[in-house]
Amino acid sequence: MATTEKNILYRIYFVAACMLLLAIGVGVKLLDIQFLEGDKYEQIAQQRTYKNFVIPANRGNLYDAGGNLLATSVPKYDIRFDAVTVSDKNFEENLLPLSEELSKMFGKSSAHYAKTLRTARANKHRYFLIARNLGYSEYIRIKNFPMFRLGSNRGGIIVEQRTVREHPLGKMGERTVGYERQDDSGYYTRVGLEGAFGPYLRGKEGRRLKQKIAKGQWKPISDNNEVEPKDGYDLISTIDVKIQDIAHHALLRQLEKYEADHGSVVVMETETGEIKAISNLGRTSEGTYFEKLNYAVGESHEPGSTFKLMAMIVALEDKVIDTSTVVDTDNGIMTIYGRKVRDSHRGGYGKISAAKAFEVSSNVGLVKLIYDNYKDKPQQFVDGLKDMHLHEELGLAIKGEGEPYIPAPGDKTWSGLSLPWMAYGYGSIQLTPLQTLTFYNAIANGGEMVKPRFIKEVKEWDRTVEKFEKKVIDPAICSPETVEKVKEMMKNVVERGTGKSLYEPHFSMAGKTGTAQTEYWMKDWPKNPRYISSFVGFFPVEKPKYSCIVVIHKPDYRTGYYGADVSGPVFKRIAQKIFTDTPVLDEFSKLDTVVPVIEKDYNKYFSVARKYKEIMPNLKGMPAMDAISVLENLGLRVQFSGSGEVKRQSISPGSKISKDQIVKLILG
Amino acid sequence: MSKTISQFDWLSILLYFLLVSIGWVNIYSASLDDTATSFFDLDQIYGKQLLWIILSVFLIVILLSLEAKFYERFASIIYVFSLFSIIGLFFFGKTINGATSWYAIGGFTIQPSEFAKVATALALAKFTSDIQTNIKNLGDQFKAFIIIALPALIILPQPDAGSAMVYAAFFFPLYREGLSGVYLLIGALGILVFVLTLMFNPFWVSGGAVIVLLLTYFLRKKKKPGAIAYLSILIVAVALSFSVNYIFENIFEQRHRDRFNIVLGKEVDNRGIGYNTNQSEIAIGSGSWFGKGWTQGTQTKGNFVPEQHTDYIFSTVGEEWGFIGSTVVVLLFILLMLRILHLAERQKSQFNRVYGYSVAGILFIHFFVNVGMVIGIFPTVGIPLPFFSYGGSGLWGFTILLFIFIKLDADRMSFW
Repeated sequence: MATTEKNILYRIYFVAACMLLLAIGVGVKLLDIQFLEGDKYEQIAQQRTYKNFVIPANRGNLYDAGGNLLATSVPKYDIRFDAVTVSDKNFEENLLPLSEELSKMFGKSSAHYAKTLRTARANKHRYFLIARNLGYSEYIRIKNFPMFRLGSNRGGIIVEQRTVREHPLGKMGERTVGYERQDDSGYYTRVGLEGAFGPYLRGKEGRRLKQKIAKGQWKPISDNNEVEPKDGYDLISTIDVKIQDIAHHALLRQLEKYEADHGSVVVMETETGEIKAISNLGRTSEGTYFEKLNYAVGESHEPGSTFKLMAMIVALEDKVIDTSTVVDTDNGIMTIYGRKVRDSHRGGYGKISAAKAFEVSSNVGLVKLIYDNYKDKPQQFVDGLKDMHLHEELGLAIKGEGEPYIPAPGDKTWSGLSLPWMAYGYGSIQLTPLQTLTFYNAIANGGEMVKPRFIKEVKEWDRTVEKFEKKVIDPAICSPETVEKVKEMMKNVVERGTGKSLYEPHFSMAGKTGTAQTEYWMKDWPKNPRYISSFVGFFPVEKPKYSCIVVIHKPDYRTGYYGADVSGPVFKRIAQKIFTDTPVLDEFSKLDTVVPVIEKDYNKYFSVARKYKEIMPNLKGMPAMDAISVLENLGLRVQFSGSGEVKRQSISPGSKISKDQIVKLILG
Repeated sequence: MSKTISQFDWLSILLYFLLVSIGWVNIYSASLDDTATSFFDLDQIYGKQLLWIILSVFLIVILLSLEAKFYERFASIIYVFSLFSIIGLFFFGKTINGATSWYAIGGFTIQPSEFAKVATALALAKFTSDIQTNIKNLGDQFKAFIIIALPALIILPQPDAGSAMVYAAFFFPLYREGLSGVYLLIGALGILVFVLTLMFNPFWVSGGAVIVLLLTYFLRKKKKPGAIAYLSILIVAVALSFSVNYIFENIFEQRHRDRFNIVLGKEVDNRGIGYNTNQSEIAIGSGSWFGKGWTQGTQTKGNFVPEQHTDYIFSTVGEEWGFIGSTVVVLLFILLMLRILHLAERQKSQFNRVYGYSVAGILFIHFFVNVGMVIGIFPTVGIPLPFFSYGGSGLWGFTILLFIFIKLDADRMSFW
């Protein structure tokens, strides 16, 4: 061998040194990872393996004044199927029994289910939809079906739970009940009561720290939640479902009849300012109506004749006129600065009292009364209006209140025409229906102006968290004498004035009609006139309990457009029916009495009510609320299910009836 | 026989069992989940591994009982048989994780390349120890190269680049036996040029080579080697650099490029191709000084590190036993390898010595490439950590490799 001993030794050392050197390299890198960057890696490891899980809080319920649920949260379940995870044996054994059960539950044939499930498995579908939106009991049922009862790994069932906000009373007052949605960026869209009182309803979500223990499995670190979820509070709203129902259907019927663009109705309790009903319906392109926008709260417009009350009160308070002051309406046309003011009544009314001018809603009369007395001091008239808070927002909890506007001298738009135009509700005045109603309610309430309220109470189970008391905006917007004078005039509007078509000898109402032109600045107006018809008032006159405003925008003018014709009937129906008290039953067994069709006419109510004293009337086709009023006046106790018109009645027409007898109605 | 028992190198045997036991403890932790029942649960990875370990004890007894002469005598036959076994993979092999490296027999799989290393080591030892072989002879060098390259070239396209790379280990014994250091120098320079080319670009590398060679040429003390030698080295280096660049950009697949780029820090991709290494670094890094304790590793439990019970088992060591634990494991390996080198050096027979060096070399390449990959100083190459990684073939392959040498060592006196 040529290699020397020394050479060999070098080679041995060299090999060993190489190994050691590389091993040291490993050690250095270990030191680097575990110490120099150890903290960094430790943090990353923490983040990866510990996670805060959000436990959602249950959203509070929304109730009406009588404790009926308006909105509540319910869990909904989607069932899906992982067709791959199930073993061949389990799949084959359970496929047919499962299909059988699915068929029983959902209706399609069991062969259909067997086939689709097989296809899903063949296609290796791991997220195959079985059913959507199941309730809790249905979920429990499907969970125990063959195959599914083996669980998610062996049985392939995938359950996804969601919380859905449900409105047990359907579409009624949907816009006022509203909603609250949070988008991905955390921004809330708030509508109606749900939105306005979201912070109360929402509650606080809890947190639970969990550690990852295996793929997709997380173990809670401690037995208790780190932050307990706090459920949202319940809200008791002022809405009265019964009145809401009446208002909703009365408005809907009239909108349909007049094919109007949209309309709203608000019923307010006179003394407290509680909103008992609020309905806003807008027309879709198909001609149906739904709760589109909260017009009553958000839409300000020129009020037209309903504003004559405000103008009149200012003049009466300033004592520049009295109810008996005579005004010459001439032939119903007057010219100011080259512009004409016309009365709707052709030829005018001649010389009439101020009170009469109000009752017949004479534009010329009101313009003369105001213009003659304030043309030199328009500021005083405007101040009078502003003293009654007409330029102030109501400050509602619900977002999006329309801004009121009362023009004043010095404003950019102020001109010589402003004062006379304001006298009958034009001249750029802007008021929302709710603001107008609040003013009328103050008159009904003897001059005390109260703020409209939607929420009575915030509750946590039985404990009251917060009470929203009556809030007085102004204890007296005008003198008691003025209140009495205008109340009398408003009563006369219905008895003999523009609202006399609404007159009802058995029931006293007071109010004011309004027929305002809208979009009159547009060129096509003469060809296609557009109006806002309104009626606002209160009832009963003697001791006002409720005030109510009905505003209907752009009715088809060929059918009618006067406030008394379009909006007045809605007001009347609400007033008539509002005191009817009937328990609501959800369901009862089928009735066997089928009654022949009678003519649909809600005015039949009175003829029927008067005619029948001791025998059962035929109610078929009569609107539910009319039928209930008739029956209750006969001394019967009414139970009903459904909504709309009477389809069946449990006591056949012509039968003898006795007091306190129970009659059941099926509506549809 | 009783005389032979006292001849066994008990230190190596002790190190072997220590490493195997520590390995199993970590496999247990890495593969533990909710369904665990007992240590011997054969449905569980750790249960299977325990079975392999127990069976390897019997294997050891058999290996040590055979005549030492048997291994030398049958080396060629074993080598040929082994070649056939890896060639057969192309026809009967089973594909797992993309590599056709397994035979499926019943419920078990066998990876013949784990045993081919042993056969190659035996064959190489037999060839070099032949009285007619002189490793300084170019022709014999070529023959030795064929013995080594044949199994590597068969394994490479399976594809199993990791296992093929291990055959580089056989340069250790050849170097010891007198192979010129020039080969090592060329190899080292080749690797250097390769890495530098990937890190920078061929133009920079060429320029750098010119400067370095000019400096060494003018600063050299001896007259030899002459300018021509330097010039040829330069030409080779430049050609290599450009061809490496060409191969890297045009022949390598993207996944290979990615692996290199990540180790060289040219790319950060902690979600895709760099995911394994990144996760493994997180696991080890979060272990700190003393680790999180056995079965307490959050990354291990969370199954963040893929293949943790096989190729990435060292990350469990790092996480649960910390720097102390991983250093102990590294030291145990180094100790075993140095011990084997020491034993090899005391052999009278060249066959035994070459074989011993081969064992040390194979263990070392496995150890360094595997741990290097797990801690992120080597590209991702899937080879197991000896005695640690889960897998019967691997464990048995290394057991056979080591214990043949222990038997040879115990028998070294019989030459006298």
